[in-house]
Amino acid sequence: MVLVGGRGTRLHPITKHMAKPAVTFGGKYRLVDFVLSNLTNSYIGTVGIITQYEPHSLMHYIEHGANWDLDVSGGGIQFLTPYTAYDGDKWQKGTAHAIRQHMHFIRQHDPELVLILSGDHVYKMDYTPLIEDHQQSGADITIATFKPHDSLSRYGVLKSDETGRLIHFQEKPDHPEGDMASMGIYVFERKALETILTEEMPEGFDFGKDIIPKALQEDYRINTYRFEGYFRDVGTVQSLYEANMELLDRPELLRLNDYKNLPIYTRSSDYPPHHIMLSEPVKNSLVSDGCLIQGTVRHSILSNNVAVLEDTTIDDCLIYSGVTVNENCQVKNAIILENTVIPPNTNIVFDEVKVIDNDILWALGDDSNE
Amino acid sequence: MNRLFAIIDASSRGNFEKLTLHRMPGALPYAGRYRLIDFALSNIKNAGITNVAIFPFGNYRSLQDHVGSGKRWNLDRRRDGLFILPPKNLMMPSDDMLTFQGMHEHVEYFKRSTQKYCLIMPADIVWNIDFNAVLDEHIESGADITEIMHENTRLHAFILDKEQLLDYILNYDIIPYKSIHELLLKKKQLVRNIYNHQFYTKRIKDPYTYHRSNLDMLKFEVGNTIFSRKRPILTKEKTAPPARYTNTAEVSNSMIASGSLIRGKVHQSIIGRDCVIKEGAEVSNSIVMSNSVIEKGAILNNAIIDKGVVVKKETVLEGSETQPFVTQKEQILTDQSALRVLFVGAEAYPYIKTGGLADVIGGLSRALVKKGLEVSVILPLYNPVKEDHKESFEFITNHTFTFDGEERKIGLYRHERKKVKFYFIENFKYFERDDIYGYEDDCHRFAFFNLAVKEVLDTIGPFDLLHLHDWHTGLIPKILNHQMVSPPKTVFTIHNIDYQGECEQDVIDALNLPRSDDGEVNFMEEAVKEATKLTTVSPTYRNELRYEYYGKNLTGPLLKRDRDFYGVLNGLPKDFAPQNDKVILSRYDHTQVFTKTENKLFLQEKMQLSLGLQKFIIGMVTRITEQKGFPIILEILDEILSEHADIQFVLLGTGEEKYITALREVAQNHPGQVRLNIGYDATEPNFIYAGADLYLMPSRVEPCGLSQMIALKYGTIPLVRRTGGLADSVTDYDPFTKEGNGFTFYPYDAHALKEKLYEAYDVFKNDKDAWRHLIAQAMRCDFSLDTQAQKIHEIYLTMI
Repeated sequence: MVLVGGRGTRLHPITKHMAKPAVTFGGKYRLVDFVLSNLTNSYIGTVGIITQYEPHSLMHYIEHGANWDLDVSGGGIQFLTPYTAYDGDKWQKGTAHAIRQHMHFIRQHDPELVLILSGDHVYKMDYTPLIEDHQQSGADITIATFKPHDSLSRYGVLKSDETGRLIHFQEKPDHPEGDMASMGIYVFERKALETILTEEMPEGFDFGKDIIPKALQEDYRINTYRFEGYFRDVGTVQSLYEANMELLDRPELLRLNDYKNLPIYTRSSDYPPHHIMLSEPVKNSLVSDGCLIQGTVRHSILSNNVAVLEDTTIDDCLIYSGVTVNENCQVKNAIILENTVIPPNTNIVFDEVKVIDNDILWALGDDSNE
Repeated sequence: MNRLFAIIDASSRGNFEKLTLHRMPGALPYAGRYRLIDFALSNIKNAGITNVAIFPFGNYRSLQDHVGSGKRWNLDRRRDGLFILPPKNLMMPSDDMLTFQGMHEHVEYFKRSTQKYCLIMPADIVWNIDFNAVLDEHIESGADITEIMHENTRLHAFILDKEQLLDYILNYDIIPYKSIHELLLKKKQLVRNIYNHQFYTKRIKDPYTYHRSNLDMLKFEVGNTIFSRKRPILTKEKTAPPARYTNTAEVSNSMIASGSLIRGKVHQSIIGRDCVIKEGAEVSNSIVMSNSVIEKGAILNNAIIDKGVVVKKETVLEGSETQPFVTQKEQILTDQSALRVLFVGAEAYPYIKTGGLADVIGGLSRALVKKGLEVSVILPLYNPVKEDHKESFEFITNHTFTFDGEERKIGLYRHERKKVKFYFIENFKYFERDDIYGYEDDCHRFAFFNLAVKEVLDTIGPFDLLHLHDWHTGLIPKILNHQMVSPPKTVFTIHNIDYQGECEQDVIDALNLPRSDDGEVNFMEEAVKEATKLTTVSPTYRNELRYEYYGKNLTGPLLKRDRDFYGVLNGLPKDFAPQNDKVILSRYDHTQVFTKTENKLFLQEKMQLSLGLQKFIIGMVTRITEQKGFPIILEILDEILSEHADIQFVLLGTGEEKYITALREVAQNHPGQVRLNIGYDATEPNFIYAGADLYLMPSRVEPCGLSQMIALKYGTIPLVRRTGGLADSVTDYDPFTKEGNGFTFYPYDAHALKEKLYEAYDVFKNDKDAWRHLIAQAMRCDFSLDTQAQKIHEIYLTMI
């Protein structure tokens, strides 16, 4: 079950018109590519995608899942959207609540185990060892954990005994104990999941905030599994920007070029290879298909179909697809959203990373006029 | 909307040599991420066509892999969709174009298609075209057939009514047209319409057009037309992250596909997916296909690098605009500028010569030296060579070894000529004779020669590889492989498969080699089995040898070696040039076509033919044998000379008595019209090359042929059968577009020959401008030894 319904408020205004998992990453990818590719690389072929906020761009992007070989008969991808039933509207309030609203989907496929994932993490992971670890532990629930590179306070923090059994859990604590954070990835025994979710609960409950503490309290056997690979939760504009820039500065971390070891699939564009037209420097950058580049591009990531015209310099930017940066512009430290047109002779140089789209550009223009 | 169904004719082989060794032209990678057939399929999709059949030939695996179910082009459907219809008859070489017979093999498809009109097009055109506009024009014109053309060149793309097409297909064995192309050329009452496609269009037929057209995509206007946003070109989906540029990257005017890592310099080039250009590498004017690695300090200019190639550090690959350097798929190229090669053969110009073999060895060795290779040549020392040259030879050493159970002594001599080192092996018993061949013990003589070459390798070497020519060197690979710990690599070139060197097993015993199971020893077969690489003298002949009609007893062994077998057209030495010819009456070049007429009158006078520039002189310089087409010539010669008193026939040559007798009879019936010069020195061949109008060469088999190239150089228009090297050097004249440099026909029969001959006669008589244009085009043809040398060098590099 892939949860992709979050509003991604901390990513605003990138998520103004799209769900967080549909956000562009690394030029050619969307965040949801990672979880879908991990699923297909782990040979998990029955996937429920639980959507709520701005689902259409995401549904359009994923289609039947053919790009991830998830268009299989007898399983495949099913979009689970809020719906109205005879006993009321099934709107989802919280991650665990969302799963409960779609328990009928789980029953229909009748699995032994349910893997609960998020659609907005950047990582390459084969879920098979996680599932095997869960089965060997004999636990009701297994939580995948990692060691964050930043503050633990952003995450659910766990403590386990030497067998890996969870003994202590804090959700986003101010004073974390331990060094393990929850990835928001859970393996549930299907029966345990059904039991714990069908009990009476307050409206709008989460796995991290409500279910795991409750399960711990009620003596469910909870196992922890340590994931050693690269993992980023890109919940904020800053963390999204940093994770992107890590592709430039430390490509060995995510290894997108390594197709043998867990390839990340994405929907391919209809554009020809990009064309570097003049001899202006293009350095330390990632450039995608369909781009036309006449200016200078340094330490930046360009998505599909970006035009950078003459005498323009781009530094430290993420530029999303369909953007045109006209002649004689200076742009630094910006995330430029889809289809933004930057008029000629524009200077948008920021000290800290800032998101730009056409509306924000207008507003900026108004400010400077005052 | 659904008015059209489409046929993609992917049966054209083109002339790509190494590039199509593992794929069909339609599957050639293009512009970094596409395949050629994407243009056909995308134009089809953009026209809303949903019923498509692809007619491939040969190995269409990579094509099939690429198009898959056709989903990308909306062709994965319940009704209609994508069909791949391979030829059923694989026993005969297929035509270079889809024929009605070929369509008949899949006539069910045509019957089932419900659309009213059929669109036919090749798989190898780069274009972006709106087929609905073509169809609208076709319907409006009321024509039987609409042909799509671009700037007066034919594209072999047509629209016609399905019922009409079906009629041709069902009657393919009755109608006199094999293909739609022939239909257009021959059926006079056909109402045709020409649709002129005005935007960028290129038919990709060889490495030159491939290279050129890829680089055309770097011109903004062209790229924008082809990769139009309105009618996008779609290709198979693949996963690759964006291309990465490091701080050391320097890129100008280049297209770079996803997944590539650019650390070095790239200028005016196309880089495919997942390539690595390392720091310090320089790539200019080149096409690099996916998954290739260009290492530090490597320099590429005008090169085509096939998929998965590694160019090792400091390696320089330099082609020219007209002749790009071409690698093979997954080849590893190292710095081999001074490759050491030993040529082995029975004869070499200028020391001793009986035929074309000597010219090739003499010319090619020199051309390779000019490219910077170190080339040596080793030959037996025959009496005539000894008499003419021996005083200038340097004696190297004597050597003894056992052959046929006895101690044999040889002498080794050297002579350096134009930087090529020639070595000669002297032996009283086997080589002190007046002729090269024609002795009862030829097999033993050359077996001895083969062993002697191995024995002196240490003295004259070392060599990176040995290039062996024809059967006389056929046992060398076997000897080396059996008797050396680390045998050098060998290339064996088949010049003439008719002479294979067959004899008893005692030759094998004499060499102290293990006997093979067969009753007889076959020198050429042994070489085909044991040599590292094989080549023959033209790309078409190479393909023909896959069929028993041409390959005879060696078809099987050659098919087994298919992946190591190359065809390279022999080059023509620069000496053949009418502007420098001291023998002919008046020298001329392609700007002085009128001077050629003086040579024509001179020829008529010399041959005692009736004088007149209006006469049509057919010339031949040839061996008079069956292979050269004399059976079909004799069937019609008398007829055409009777039907047209102004046709004249001049021949120089010698050969089989029965044909000579028959020719003499014809000559007697037509005094003043025919002159036979029987015997090799009966007259100067150049009189004929310079003076005739048409050069006749209707060979049944012709591995390469040089005289059609000479004729072209002299502006004497060749009329040839489309076989072997003739097919690779002569293209049929198209009266509509004026393209072509001669006349060609395919079926080996007298009727087809006569028809073509009259076609040529008709142009000569009734369209003087066209004829002069044809002469100019013929004289501009280039068959240089340098081209041949570059291709041979490319093959050497695949072996190192």
